[in-house]
Amino acid sequence: MNFLNKIIFFYYREYKLNMSGIQDILTNIIFFFISIFIFIFSIGPDKETISLIGVGILWTLLLLSSTLSLRKFYQDDFENGNLLIIHLNGFSFGFISILKTFSHFLFVQVPFLLSIPIACILLNIANDKLFYLFASFSIGSLILSCLGSISSSMNLMNQRNFLLGSVIVMIFSVPVIIFSVGIINMEESFNSLINILFGILLIVFAINPWASGLCLKLSLENS
Amino acid sequence: MKFLVNPSKFNEMADYLFRPLLILSIILFAIGLLFSFYLSPDDYQQGSTVRIMYVHVPSAWLALLTYAIMTIYSILALAFRIPFGFIFNTAVAPIGAVFTLICIISGSLWGKPMWGTWWVWDARLTSVAILFIIYLIIIFMNLSFENRIVREKVVAIFILIGSVNLPIVKFSVDWWNTLHQPATISKLSKPSIDPSMMTPLIIMTFAFIMIGVAIAILRIKTEIISRKSYLS
Repeated sequence: MNFLNKIIFFYYREYKLNMSGIQDILTNIIFFFISIFIFIFSIGPDKETISLIGVGILWTLLLLSSTLSLRKFYQDDFENGNLLIIHLNGFSFGFISILKTFSHFLFVQVPFLLSIPIACILLNIANDKLFYLFASFSIGSLILSCLGSISSSMNLMNQRNFLLGSVIVMIFSVPVIIFSVGIINMEESFNSLINILFGILLIVFAINPWASGLCLKLSLENS
Repeated sequence: MKFLVNPSKFNEMADYLFRPLLILSIILFAIGLLFSFYLSPDDYQQGSTVRIMYVHVPSAWLALLTYAIMTIYSILALAFRIPFGFIFNTAVAPIGAVFTLICIISGSLWGKPMWGTWWVWDARLTSVAILFIIYLIIIFMNLSFENRIVREKVVAIFILIGSVNLPIVKFSVDWWNTLHQPATISKLSKPSIDPSMMTPLIIMTFAFIMIGVAIAILRIKTEIISRKSYLS
């Protein structure tokens, strides 16, 4: 029970931290909506065109705006030493990365999930596609969280060039984008595509603790 | 085979190998270019543009081969704590990037007369472009970390994760219905290419391998020297 208590307290702490800095999350959401506006201004308000490419725009912007908050993934805890304290309390680095990934999913990706219906109204996407969008994004965002964990732990000691972290996430999220936009445009093959997406999630989820745990350990040893 | 994992043994071996390799590569390039420009026939459909193949295919093979060897060395370096793997990764990544760039540019020069465009969003072309970006990220990572120990291990981990792209590049022509043709030369079956075109291709491939190995030797030696001054 002690271990479970620790996990609960970990999430309580994450909740407190994220609520005290709620303007960051809201800024992400505002960035997402502003980019939708800019896209529509640049394409023109033609309804046919927008509904044709709306899903692609939505997915691209979700990816871009969820990579914005990558800097805060481990950096704060790493710099004020909380990462080491959590580790001394009996969590291995791999397990910390799993906990952090879920925390990122809860506090950064779920607000996007909730704002998808409003974006669908703005982009003129049909209501029956909303379910497919939700299904693909709830799996895809977990993949993005795992990739974000890997890339931000890699770039902990990288003081010069943090944009590299976002580039790493974007380069590995290419298959996610392909299959999740494919789900929405080809609804008849929903089952097979969602299975592929789920398979990618399992692969990334298996790699994540190993890679981020190793990078966290390295950075803490050499800082 | 100890020179493949031991820096000082590698230095000894490199002194023997470098000059012969360079001379051999120049000779092979001369013979190969002679063959590919004058002694091989035109294709009955593609005409003279088929000669781009003698640069395009070897550079594409070597781009993949370089990444595969880097993956093997990353595993060696991370699992068996062989620091030569890190030296190899740092030194060889730009060579792979250049081969990939040659492959992309010659491919798009070939695509313009044959397919009518410089670029199509085809599975093979896209995955090779991603391979090129992965090479660039490796180079930038090598430049942007200050701590050497962290840098080389992080780069090795990134190479291991990025190696998922290799089978995608290789099998993209079989898995998807692409404009790019599937592999003509494979080990398991008889190649479907004429011997008169096979000969310059093989010669050019060996010339590319030789020049790649020669440049790699030069870069690895420089890397070893810079690390010695770092340590002492």
